[in-house]
Amino acid sequence: MSAMALRSLNLPGVGTKYEFETDKGDTVAIFFTKTGAVQMYTLQKGCQTPSAAEMSPVEARRLGNILTGAIIEADQESVEIAFSALADLRITIHTFFVTAAVIGKTIEDLQIRAKTGATVIAVCRHDRNIINPPPTFVFEKGDAALVIGESDQIKKFEGEIMVE
Amino acid sequence: MESLILALFVCLVLALITKYLSIPAIPFYILAGVLLGKAGGGMLTNNEISQFFSEMGLIFLLFFMGLGLKPERIASNRSAVLTSGFIDLNINMIIGFAAAYMLGFSFTESLIIAAAFYISSTAMALTSLIENRKLMLRESDTVIWLMVFEDLVLIIFLAILSAGNQNLIIFFVKILAVLGVLYALAHYGKEFLISILDRDDELPILFTFAAVLTTASFSMYLGVPETMMVIALGVAFATTDPDAFEQHARPFKDVFLVVFFVFFGVTVDFSGGANWFVIGAISLIAIASKLISGLLTGVFIHGSALSGLEIWANTIARGEFSIALAVIYGSPLVGTTIAAMVIVTSIVGSFMAKYSGVLRRGIVNHSRHKALLRRPH
Repeated sequence: MSAMALRSLNLPGVGTKYEFETDKGDTVAIFFTKTGAVQMYTLQKGCQTPSAAEMSPVEARRLGNILTGAIIEADQESVEIAFSALADLRITIHTFFVTAAVIGKTIEDLQIRAKTGATVIAVCRHDRNIINPPPTFVFEKGDAALVIGESDQIKKFEGEIMVE
Repeated sequence: MESLILALFVCLVLALITKYLSIPAIPFYILAGVLLGKAGGGMLTNNEISQFFSEMGLIFLLFFMGLGLKPERIASNRSAVLTSGFIDLNINMIIGFAAAYMLGFSFTESLIIAAAFYISSTAMALTSLIENRKLMLRESDTVIWLMVFEDLVLIIFLAILSAGNQNLIIFFVKILAVLGVLYALAHYGKEFLISILDRDDELPILFTFAAVLTTASFSMYLGVPETMMVIALGVAFATTDPDAFEQHARPFKDVFLVVFFVFFGVTVDFSGGANWFVIGAISLIAIASKLISGLLTGVFIHGSALSGLEIWANTIARGEFSIALAVIYGSPLVGTTIAAMVIVTSIVGSFMAKYSGVLRRGIVNHSRHKALLRRPH
Protein backbone atom coordinates (compact mmCIF):
# COMPACT_ATOMS: atom_id res chain seq x y z
CA MET A 1 0.00 0.00 0.00
CA SER A 2 2.95 2.33 0.49
CA ALA A 3 3.16 3.20 -3.20
CA MET A 4 -0.40 4.45 -3.13
CA ALA A 5 0.02 6.61 -0.05
CA LEU A 6 -2.70 9.23 -0.30
CA ARG A 7 -1.85 12.67 1.01
CA SER A 8 -4.59 15.04 1.95
CA LEU A 9 -3.86 18.64 2.70
CA ASN A 10 -5.86 21.70 3.66
CA LEU A 11 -4.88 24.72 1.62
CA PRO A 12 -6.04 27.91 3.33
CA GLY A 13 -8.37 29.91 1.11
CA VAL A 14 -8.29 27.32 -1.66
CA GLY A 15 -9.75 24.07 -0.37
CA THR A 16 -8.64 20.49 0.12
CA LYS A 17 -6.01 18.69 -1.87
CA TYR A 18 -5.69 14.92 -2.32
CA GLU A 19 -2.63 13.58 -4.02
CA PHE A 20 -1.15 10.17 -4.66
CA GLU A 21 1.49 8.58 -6.80
CA THR A 22 0.69 5.46 -8.78
CA ASP A 23 2.91 2.36 -8.87
CA LYS A 24 4.17 3.47 -12.26
CA GLY A 25 5.20 6.87 -10.97
CA ASP A 26 2.41 9.03 -12.37
CA THR A 27 0.85 11.52 -10.01
CA VAL A 28 -2.83 12.28 -9.62
CA ALA A 29 -4.04 15.27 -7.63
CA ILE A 30 -7.59 16.29 -6.86
CA PHE A 31 -8.57 19.68 -5.46
CA PHE A 32 -11.94 20.40 -3.93
CA THR A 33 -11.92 24.18 -4.23
CA LYS A 34 -13.98 26.53 -2.09
CA THR A 35 -15.76 27.75 -5.21
CA GLY A 36 -17.36 24.29 -5.45
CA ALA A 37 -15.47 23.25 -8.56
CA VAL A 38 -13.36 20.09 -8.47
CA GLN A 39 -10.05 20.17 -10.32
CA MET A 40 -8.22 17.01 -11.28
CA TYR A 41 -4.58 17.10 -12.34
CA THR A 42 -2.54 14.26 -13.76
CA LEU A 43 1.20 14.41 -14.13
CA GLN A 44 2.91 11.75 -16.16
CA LYS A 45 6.18 10.44 -14.76
CA GLY A 46 9.06 12.53 -16.06
CA CYS A 47 6.80 15.30 -17.32
CA GLN A 48 6.99 18.88 -16.14
CA THR A 49 3.54 20.26 -16.85
CA PRO A 50 0.43 18.57 -15.49
CA SER A 51 -2.79 18.49 -17.43
CA ALA A 52 -5.93 19.59 -15.69
CA ALA A 53 -9.68 19.19 -15.92
CA GLU A 54 -12.24 21.19 -14.00
CA MET A 55 -15.50 19.53 -13.04
CA SER A 56 -18.71 20.47 -11.30
CA PRO A 57 -19.54 18.34 -8.23
CA VAL A 58 -22.02 16.29 -10.28
CA GLU A 59 -19.46 15.61 -12.99
CA ALA A 60 -16.89 14.68 -10.36
CA ARG A 61 -19.28 12.14 -8.80
CA ARG A 62 -19.95 10.69 -12.22
CA LEU A 63 -16.21 10.29 -12.80
CA GLY A 64 -15.96 8.63 -9.40
CA ASN A 65 -18.65 6.13 -10.37
CA ILE A 66 -16.83 5.28 -13.56
CA LEU A 67 -13.55 4.82 -11.72
CA THR A 68 -15.09 2.45 -9.13
CA GLY A 69 -16.08 0.20 -12.01
CA ALA A 70 -19.79 0.82 -11.88
CA ILE A 71 -21.92 0.18 -14.91
CA ILE A 72 -23.45 3.45 -15.91
CA GLU A 73 -26.51 3.16 -18.03
CA ALA A 74 -28.88 5.83 -19.18
CA ASP A 75 -31.41 5.53 -16.39
CA GLN A 76 -30.38 2.64 -14.16
CA GLU A 77 -26.99 2.83 -12.57
CA SER A 78 -24.98 0.98 -10.04
CA VAL A 79 -22.11 1.88 -7.80
CA GLU A 80 -19.64 -0.59 -6.44
CA ILE A 81 -17.77 0.31 -3.30
CA ALA A 82 -14.64 -1.64 -2.41
CA PHE A 83 -13.31 -1.58 1.14
CA SER A 84 -9.71 -2.60 0.79
CA ALA A 85 -9.23 -2.69 4.56
CA LEU A 86 -11.98 -5.33 4.99
CA ALA A 87 -10.57 -8.25 2.96
CA ASP A 88 -11.51 -6.42 -0.20
CA LEU A 89 -15.22 -6.34 0.63
CA ARG A 90 -17.17 -5.21 -2.42
CA ILE A 91 -20.67 -3.88 -2.07
CA THR A 92 -22.86 -2.94 -5.00
CA ILE A 93 -25.73 -0.51 -4.93
CA HIS A 94 -28.04 -0.71 -7.94
CA THR A 95 -31.12 1.24 -8.97
CA PHE A 96 -34.08 -0.52 -10.56
CA PHE A 97 -37.30 0.80 -12.00
CA VAL A 98 -40.02 -1.52 -10.73
CA THR A 99 -41.47 -3.94 -13.22
CA ALA A 100 -45.02 -5.29 -13.48
CA ALA A 101 -43.92 -8.39 -11.54
CA VAL A 102 -43.59 -6.49 -8.27
CA ILE A 103 -46.20 -3.74 -8.57
CA GLY A 104 -48.82 -4.07 -5.85
CA LYS A 105 -46.71 -6.48 -3.79
CA THR A 106 -44.93 -5.88 -0.50
CA ILE A 107 -41.27 -6.50 0.22
CA GLU A 108 -42.44 -9.31 2.57
CA ASP A 109 -44.59 -10.95 -0.14
CA LEU A 110 -41.66 -11.01 -2.52
CA GLN A 111 -39.31 -12.57 0.10
CA ILE A 112 -36.53 -10.44 -1.33
CA ARG A 113 -33.97 -11.00 1.43
CA ALA A 114 -34.67 -14.75 1.77
CA LYS A 115 -34.54 -15.43 -1.96
CA THR A 116 -31.66 -13.19 -3.03
CA GLY A 117 -29.81 -11.88 0.02
CA ALA A 118 -30.07 -8.35 -1.36
CA THR A 119 -31.80 -5.55 0.55
CA VAL A 120 -34.00 -2.72 -0.66
CA ILE A 121 -32.56 0.30 1.15
CA ALA A 122 -34.52 3.09 -0.45
CA VAL A 123 -37.36 3.75 -2.85
CA CYS A 124 -37.77 6.90 -4.86
CA ARG A 125 -41.43 7.77 -5.46
CA HIS A 126 -42.51 11.00 -7.19
CA ASP A 127 -39.18 12.70 -6.39
CA ARG A 128 -39.56 11.77 -2.73
CA ASN A 129 -37.20 9.28 -1.11
CA ILE A 130 -38.37 6.59 1.28
CA ILE A 131 -35.32 5.41 3.17
CA ASN A 132 -35.33 1.90 4.69
CA PRO A 133 -38.85 0.88 3.58
CA PRO A 134 -40.57 -1.53 6.06
CA PRO A 135 -41.46 -5.14 5.03
CA THR A 136 -45.08 -4.02 4.60
CA PHE A 137 -44.04 -1.47 1.95
CA VAL A 138 -46.07 -1.85 -1.27
CA PHE A 139 -44.38 -1.11 -4.62
CA GLU A 140 -46.24 1.18 -6.99
CA LYS A 141 -45.91 1.87 -10.66
CA GLY A 142 -43.12 4.39 -11.37
CA ASP A 143 -41.12 3.60 -8.21
CA ALA A 144 -37.36 3.36 -8.41
CA ALA A 145 -35.77 0.98 -5.91
CA LEU A 146 -32.24 1.20 -4.57
CA VAL A 147 -30.93 -2.27 -3.81
CA ILE A 148 -27.74 -3.10 -1.96
CA GLY A 149 -25.81 -6.37 -1.89
CA GLU A 150 -22.92 -8.26 -3.37
CA SER A 151 -22.89 -8.31 -7.14
CA ASP A 152 -24.14 -11.96 -7.23
CA GLN A 153 -27.04 -11.04 -4.98
CA ILE A 154 -27.87 -8.09 -7.21
CA LYS A 155 -27.83 -10.34 -10.28
CA LYS A 156 -30.14 -12.79 -8.49
CA PHE A 157 -32.47 -9.92 -7.59
CA GLU A 158 -32.57 -8.86 -11.21
CA GLY A 159 -33.26 -12.42 -12.40
CA GLU A 160 -35.79 -13.57 -9.80
CA ILE A 161 -37.58 -10.56 -8.37
CA MET A 162 -37.45 -7.66 -10.79
CA VAL A 163 -38.35 -9.78 -13.80
CA GLU A 164 -39.54 -8.00 -16.91
CA MET B 1 -28.70 56.97 -2.42
CA GLU B 2 -28.57 57.53 -6.22
CA SER B 3 -24.77 57.39 -6.04
CA LEU B 4 -24.89 54.02 -4.41
CA ILE B 5 -27.35 52.58 -6.90
CA LEU B 6 -25.34 53.91 -9.82
CA ALA B 7 -22.18 52.43 -8.31
CA LEU B 8 -23.82 49.04 -7.78
CA PHE B 9 -25.17 49.00 -11.32
CA VAL B 10 -21.80 49.89 -12.85
CA CYS B 11 -20.15 47.18 -10.75
CA LEU B 12 -22.68 44.62 -11.84
CA VAL B 13 -21.82 45.33 -15.48
CA LEU B 14 -18.09 45.32 -14.71
CA ALA B 15 -18.38 42.06 -12.79
CA LEU B 16 -20.13 40.44 -15.75
CA ILE B 17 -17.49 41.63 -18.19
CA THR B 18 -14.45 40.78 -16.06
CA LYS B 19 -15.82 37.34 -15.14
CA TYR B 20 -16.47 36.68 -18.81
CA LEU B 21 -12.90 37.67 -19.73
CA SER B 22 -11.58 36.03 -16.53
CA ILE B 23 -9.59 39.05 -15.47
CA PRO B 24 -9.58 40.53 -11.94
CA ALA B 25 -12.45 42.90 -11.21
CA ILE B 26 -10.85 44.94 -8.42
CA PRO B 27 -8.82 47.35 -10.61
CA PHE B 28 -11.90 48.05 -12.72
CA TYR B 29 -14.08 48.79 -9.68
CA ILE B 30 -11.50 51.34 -8.58
CA LEU B 31 -11.19 52.79 -12.08
CA ALA B 32 -14.97 53.10 -12.26
CA GLY B 33 -14.88 55.05 -9.01
CA VAL B 34 -12.09 57.27 -10.31
CA LEU B 35 -13.84 57.96 -13.61
CA LEU B 36 -17.30 58.55 -12.14
CA GLY B 37 -15.95 60.51 -9.19
CA LYS B 38 -14.10 63.78 -9.28
CA ALA B 39 -12.69 63.18 -12.76
CA GLY B 40 -16.09 62.34 -14.23
CA GLY B 41 -17.81 65.52 -13.08
CA GLY B 42 -18.82 64.06 -9.74
CA MET B 43 -21.48 61.61 -10.86
CA LEU B 44 -20.52 59.62 -7.79
CA THR B 45 -20.02 61.37 -4.48
CA ASN B 46 -19.20 60.00 -1.10
CA ASN B 47 -22.03 60.35 1.38
CA GLU B 48 -23.08 58.81 4.66
CA ILE B 49 -24.64 55.77 3.08
CA SER B 50 -21.71 54.93 0.84
CA GLN B 51 -19.35 55.54 3.75
CA PHE B 52 -21.30 53.09 5.90
CA PHE B 53 -21.28 50.49 3.12
CA SER B 54 -17.54 50.99 2.59
CA GLU B 55 -16.83 50.54 6.28
CA MET B 56 -18.87 47.35 6.28
CA GLY B 57 -16.88 46.17 3.27
CA LEU B 58 -13.60 46.70 5.07
CA ILE B 59 -14.82 45.04 8.25
CA PHE B 60 -16.19 42.00 6.47
CA LEU B 61 -13.03 41.68 4.36
CA LEU B 62 -10.96 41.49 7.53
CA PHE B 63 -13.42 39.19 9.30
CA PHE B 64 -13.21 36.86 6.32
CA MET B 65 -9.45 36.94 6.41
CA GLY B 66 -9.56 35.96 10.08
CA LEU B 67 -11.86 33.03 9.34
CA GLY B 68 -9.28 31.64 6.93
CA LEU B 69 -6.40 31.93 9.37
CA LYS B 70 -5.61 28.85 11.35
CA PRO B 71 -2.21 29.42 12.91
CA GLU B 72 -1.78 25.78 13.89
CA ARG B 73 -1.87 24.79 10.22
CA ILE B 74 1.46 26.49 9.58
CA ALA B 75 3.18 23.98 11.83
CA SER B 76 3.19 21.41 9.02
CA ASN B 77 5.85 22.98 6.79
CA ARG B 78 7.06 25.74 9.01
CA SER B 79 10.58 26.29 7.73
CA ALA B 80 9.56 26.73 4.09
CA VAL B 81 6.72 29.06 5.02
CA LEU B 82 8.95 31.14 7.26
CA THR B 83 11.82 31.33 4.75
CA SER B 84 9.62 32.45 1.87
CA GLY B 85 7.65 34.74 4.18
CA PHE B 86 10.73 36.53 5.48
CA ILE B 87 12.28 36.92 2.03
CA ASP B 88 9.03 38.43 0.76
CA LEU B 89 8.64 40.68 3.81
CA ASN B 90 12.20 42.01 3.94
CA ILE B 91 12.79 42.57 0.24
CA ASN B 92 9.49 44.26 -0.45
CA MET B 93 9.22 46.31 2.73
CA ILE B 94 12.76 47.64 2.34
CA ILE B 95 12.46 48.41 -1.37
CA GLY B 96 8.97 49.85 -0.91
CA PHE B 97 10.01 52.05 1.97
CA ALA B 98 13.23 53.22 0.29
CA ALA B 99 11.43 54.01 -2.96
CA ALA B 100 8.66 55.97 -1.26
CA TYR B 101 11.05 57.86 1.02
CA MET B 102 13.39 58.81 -1.83
CA LEU B 103 10.44 59.97 -3.94
CA GLY B 104 9.61 62.51 -1.27
CA PHE B 105 7.05 60.93 1.03
CA SER B 106 7.32 61.50 4.77
CA PHE B 107 8.53 58.76 7.12
CA THR B 108 5.01 57.68 8.18
CA GLU B 109 3.65 57.90 4.65
CA SER B 110 6.55 55.81 3.37
CA LEU B 111 5.83 53.21 6.04
CA ILE B 112 2.20 52.91 4.93
CA ILE B 113 3.17 52.80 1.25
CA ALA B 114 5.77 50.12 2.07
CA ALA B 115 3.14 48.01 3.80
CA ALA B 116 0.70 48.38 0.90
CA PHE B 117 3.60 47.72 -1.49
CA TYR B 118 4.52 44.54 0.38
CA ILE B 119 1.14 42.89 0.72
CA SER B 120 -0.04 41.04 -2.38
CA SER B 121 -3.69 40.44 -3.10
CA THR B 122 -4.72 37.12 -1.57
CA ALA B 123 -7.99 37.13 -3.51
CA MET B 124 -6.30 37.66 -6.87
CA ALA B 125 -3.44 35.23 -6.20
CA LEU B 126 -5.76 32.38 -5.19
CA THR B 127 -8.24 33.05 -7.98
CA SER B 128 -5.44 33.08 -10.52
CA LEU B 129 -4.04 29.77 -9.24
CA ILE B 130 -7.45 28.14 -9.53
CA GLU B 131 -8.53 29.71 -12.81
CA ASN B 132 -5.22 29.15 -14.55
CA ARG B 133 -5.20 25.55 -13.25
CA LYS B 134 -1.93 25.81 -11.45
CA LEU B 135 -2.88 24.21 -8.15
CA MET B 136 -0.73 21.16 -8.73
CA LEU B 137 2.47 23.14 -9.32
CA ARG B 138 4.78 22.98 -6.34
CA GLU B 139 5.10 26.78 -6.50
CA SER B 140 1.37 27.02 -5.78
CA ASP B 141 1.81 25.75 -2.24
CA THR B 142 4.51 28.35 -1.70
CA VAL B 143 2.25 31.12 -3.00
CA ILE B 144 -0.70 29.98 -0.89
CA TRP B 145 1.36 29.93 2.31
CA LEU B 146 2.97 33.22 1.40
CA MET B 147 -0.50 34.74 1.40
CA VAL B 148 -1.17 33.35 4.88
CA PHE B 149 2.14 34.75 6.10
CA GLU B 150 1.34 38.16 4.62
CA ASP B 151 -2.04 38.13 6.36
CA LEU B 152 -0.34 37.49 9.67
CA VAL B 153 2.10 40.35 9.05
CA LEU B 154 -0.84 42.61 8.18
CA ILE B 155 -2.31 41.99 11.62
CA ILE B 156 0.97 43.08 13.21
CA PHE B 157 1.02 46.19 10.99
CA LEU B 158 -2.50 47.09 12.00
CA ALA B 159 -1.50 46.79 15.65
CA ILE B 160 1.64 48.93 15.25
CA LEU B 161 0.08 51.57 13.01
CA SER B 162 -3.02 52.00 15.10
CA ALA B 163 -1.18 52.13 18.41
CA GLY B 164 -0.14 55.67 17.43
CA ASN B 165 0.63 57.85 20.43
CA GLN B 166 -1.28 55.81 22.97
CA ASN B 167 0.35 54.29 25.98
CA LEU B 168 1.58 51.05 24.45
CA ILE B 169 1.19 48.93 27.57
CA ILE B 170 -2.42 49.96 28.16
CA PHE B 171 -3.11 49.57 24.44
CA PHE B 172 -1.81 46.00 24.30
CA VAL B 173 -3.45 45.05 27.60
CA LYS B 174 -6.78 46.23 26.15
CA ILE B 175 -6.20 44.22 22.99
CA LEU B 176 -5.27 41.11 24.93
CA ALA B 177 -8.35 41.52 27.12
CA VAL B 178 -10.68 41.71 24.11
CA LEU B 179 -8.88 38.76 22.49
CA GLY B 180 -9.31 36.78 25.69
CA VAL B 181 -13.03 37.52 25.77
CA LEU B 182 -13.45 36.52 22.10
CA TYR B 183 -11.60 33.25 22.58
CA ALA B 184 -13.48 32.42 25.75
CA LEU B 185 -16.77 33.05 23.92
CA ALA B 186 -15.75 30.84 21.00
CA HIS B 187 -14.37 28.15 23.28
CA TYR B 188 -17.11 27.92 25.90
CA GLY B 189 -19.93 28.84 23.57
CA LYS B 190 -18.83 26.49 20.82
CA GLU B 191 -21.84 24.19 21.05
CA PHE B 192 -24.22 27.13 21.21
CA LEU B 193 -22.57 28.72 18.16
CA ILE B 194 -22.75 25.50 16.18
CA SER B 195 -26.39 24.98 17.15
CA ILE B 196 -27.16 28.47 15.81
CA LEU B 197 -25.22 27.89 12.59
CA ASP B 198 -27.03 24.60 11.97
CA ARG B 199 -30.43 26.25 11.76
CA ASP B 200 -31.90 26.90 8.35
CA ASP B 201 -33.90 30.03 9.16
CA GLU B 202 -32.59 33.61 9.21
CA LEU B 203 -30.79 33.16 12.54
CA PRO B 204 -27.30 32.11 11.34
CA ILE B 205 -26.93 35.03 8.94
CA LEU B 206 -28.43 37.49 11.43
CA PHE B 207 -26.09 36.23 14.11
CA THR B 208 -23.00 36.50 11.87
CA PHE B 209 -23.85 40.06 10.86
CA ALA B 210 -24.63 41.13 14.42
CA ALA B 211 -21.51 39.50 15.85
CA VAL B 212 -19.21 41.28 13.39
CA LEU B 213 -20.89 44.66 13.86
CA THR B 214 -21.05 44.35 17.63
CA THR B 215 -17.37 43.49 17.81
CA ALA B 216 -16.49 46.45 15.60
CA SER B 217 -18.50 49.00 17.54
CA PHE B 218 -17.54 47.59 20.92
CA SER B 219 -13.84 47.80 20.12
CA MET B 220 -14.27 51.41 18.95
CA TYR B 221 -15.88 52.12 22.31
CA LEU B 222 -12.91 50.54 24.10
CA GLY B 223 -10.41 52.39 21.94
CA VAL B 224 -8.84 49.31 20.36
CA PRO B 225 -8.62 49.12 16.56
CA GLU B 226 -11.82 47.53 15.23
CA THR B 227 -9.89 46.24 12.21
CA MET B 228 -7.79 43.97 14.41
CA MET B 229 -10.73 42.91 16.51
CA VAL B 230 -12.86 41.73 13.60
CA ILE B 231 -9.88 39.69 12.36
CA ALA B 232 -9.57 38.25 15.87
CA LEU B 233 -13.30 37.50 15.87
CA GLY B 234 -12.81 35.62 12.60
CA VAL B 235 -9.88 33.64 14.02
CA ALA B 236 -11.89 32.83 17.15
CA PHE B 237 -14.95 31.75 15.13
CA ALA B 238 -12.73 29.66 12.87
CA THR B 239 -12.32 27.27 15.80
CA THR B 240 -16.04 26.42 15.60
CA ASP B 241 -17.37 26.05 12.05
CA PRO B 242 -15.46 28.37 9.68
CA ASP B 243 -17.21 27.08 6.55
CA ALA B 244 -20.63 27.97 7.91
CA PHE B 245 -19.46 31.43 8.95
CA GLU B 246 -17.88 31.98 5.54
CA GLN B 247 -21.11 30.99 3.88
CA HIS B 248 -23.15 33.41 6.01
CA ALA B 249 -20.69 36.31 5.82
CA ARG B 250 -20.00 36.00 2.10
CA PRO B 251 -23.08 37.89 0.81
CA PHE B 252 -22.27 40.87 3.05
CA LYS B 253 -18.61 40.79 2.13
CA ASP B 254 -19.25 40.51 -1.60
CA VAL B 255 -21.67 43.42 -1.85
CA PHE B 256 -20.05 45.78 0.67
CA LEU B 257 -16.54 45.17 -0.63
CA VAL B 258 -17.49 46.15 -4.17
CA VAL B 259 -18.92 49.41 -2.83
CA PHE B 260 -15.74 49.84 -0.79
CA PHE B 261 -13.57 49.59 -3.92
CA VAL B 262 -15.69 51.99 -5.97
CA PHE B 263 -15.88 54.66 -3.31
CA PHE B 264 -12.19 54.30 -2.64
CA GLY B 265 -11.80 55.14 -6.33
CA VAL B 266 -14.06 58.16 -5.84
CA THR B 267 -11.69 59.61 -3.23
CA VAL B 268 -8.76 59.23 -5.62
CA ASP B 269 -7.90 62.37 -7.52
CA PHE B 270 -5.46 61.86 -10.33
CA SER B 271 -6.06 65.34 -11.73
CA GLY B 272 -4.96 67.63 -8.92
CA GLY B 273 -1.47 67.39 -7.48
CA ALA B 274 -0.85 63.85 -8.61
CA ASN B 275 2.76 63.41 -9.62
CA TRP B 276 2.71 60.99 -12.53
CA PHE B 277 6.42 60.31 -12.25
CA VAL B 278 6.12 59.25 -8.60
CA ILE B 279 3.01 57.15 -9.30
CA GLY B 280 4.61 55.43 -12.30
CA ALA B 281 7.87 54.81 -10.47
CA ILE B 282 6.18 53.20 -7.44
CA SER B 283 4.04 50.99 -9.68
CA LEU B 284 7.02 49.77 -11.72
CA ILE B 285 9.22 49.23 -8.67
CA ALA B 286 6.34 47.30 -7.10
CA ILE B 287 6.46 44.86 -10.02
CA ALA B 288 10.27 44.63 -10.02
CA SER B 289 10.55 44.17 -6.28
CA LYS B 290 8.24 41.14 -6.28
CA LEU B 291 10.40 39.75 -9.08
CA ILE B 292 13.46 39.94 -6.84
CA SER B 293 11.68 38.37 -3.85
CA GLY B 294 10.05 35.78 -6.12
CA LEU B 295 13.34 34.74 -7.70
CA LEU B 296 15.05 34.49 -4.31
CA THR B 297 12.18 32.41 -2.93
CA GLY B 298 12.29 30.16 -5.99
CA VAL B 299 16.01 29.58 -5.57
CA PHE B 300 15.86 29.05 -1.79
CA ILE B 301 12.74 26.90 -1.61
CA HIS B 302 12.61 25.09 -4.95
CA GLY B 303 16.23 25.47 -6.08
CA SER B 304 15.14 27.05 -9.34
CA ALA B 305 14.90 30.59 -10.65
CA LEU B 306 12.14 29.45 -13.01
CA SER B 307 10.05 28.54 -9.97
CA GLY B 308 10.73 32.05 -8.76
CA LEU B 309 9.28 33.41 -11.98
CA GLU B 310 6.09 31.45 -11.35
CA ILE B 311 5.88 32.74 -7.77
CA TRP B 312 6.43 36.28 -9.06
CA ALA B 313 3.71 36.00 -11.69
CA ASN B 314 1.13 35.05 -9.07
CA THR B 315 2.12 37.58 -6.42
CA ILE B 316 2.54 40.76 -8.52
CA ALA B 317 -1.06 41.86 -7.99
CA ARG B 318 -1.65 44.12 -5.00
CA GLY B 319 -5.27 44.53 -4.11
CA GLU B 320 -7.75 44.53 -1.27
CA PHE B 321 -5.33 44.78 1.66
CA SER B 322 -3.23 47.53 0.08
CA ILE B 323 -6.41 49.53 -0.41
CA ALA B 324 -7.52 48.76 3.12
CA LEU B 325 -4.24 50.22 4.43
CA ALA B 326 -4.67 53.28 2.20
CA VAL B 327 -8.20 53.83 3.45
CA ILE B 328 -7.41 53.35 7.13
CA TYR B 329 -4.15 55.31 7.37
CA GLY B 330 -3.36 57.02 4.08
CA SER B 331 -3.46 60.70 3.23
CA PRO B 332 -5.13 61.59 -0.12
CA LEU B 333 -1.74 61.61 -1.84
CA VAL B 334 -0.79 58.21 -0.40
CA GLY B 335 -4.24 56.91 -1.38
CA THR B 336 -3.80 58.05 -4.97
CA THR B 337 -0.36 56.43 -5.19
CA ILE B 338 -1.61 53.15 -3.76
CA ALA B 339 -4.67 53.23 -6.04
CA ALA B 340 -2.43 53.56 -9.11
CA MET B 341 -0.13 50.82 -7.83
CA VAL B 342 -3.08 48.46 -7.30
CA ILE B 343 -4.50 49.16 -10.75
CA VAL B 344 -1.16 48.70 -12.56
CA THR B 345 0.08 45.67 -10.60
CA SER B 346 -3.22 43.82 -10.69
CA ILE B 347 -3.58 44.19 -14.45
CA VAL B 348 0.06 43.28 -15.12
CA GLY B 349 -0.21 40.50 -12.54
CA SER B 350 -3.27 38.89 -14.07
CA PHE B 351 -1.58 38.96 -17.47
CA MET B 352 1.67 37.47 -16.15
CA ALA B 353 -0.17 34.77 -14.17
CA LYS B 354 -2.03 33.74 -17.29
CA TYR B 355 1.07 33.53 -19.48
CA SER B 356 3.73 32.49 -16.95
CA GLY B 357 3.73 28.97 -18.43
CA VAL B 358 4.51 30.35 -21.87
CA LEU B 359 7.20 32.58 -20.39
CA ARG B 360 8.85 29.66 -18.59
CA ARG B 361 8.81 27.46 -21.65
CA GLY B 362 10.20 30.34 -23.71
CA ILE B 363 13.10 30.80 -21.33
CA VAL B 364 13.84 27.07 -21.17
CA ASN B 365 13.82 26.77 -24.98
CA HIS B 366 15.94 29.87 -25.37
CA SER B 367 18.61 28.60 -22.97
CA ARG B 368 18.56 25.18 -24.62
CA HIS B 369 19.01 26.83 -27.96
CA LYS B 370 21.96 28.81 -26.65
CA ALA B 371 23.50 25.70 -25.11
CA LEU B 372 23.23 23.95 -28.47
CA LEU B 373 24.93 26.83 -30.27
CA ARG B 374 27.77 26.86 -27.79
CA ARG B 375 28.43 23.15 -28.08
CA PRO B 376 31.62 22.49 -30.06
CA HIS B 377 31.01 20.70 -33.32
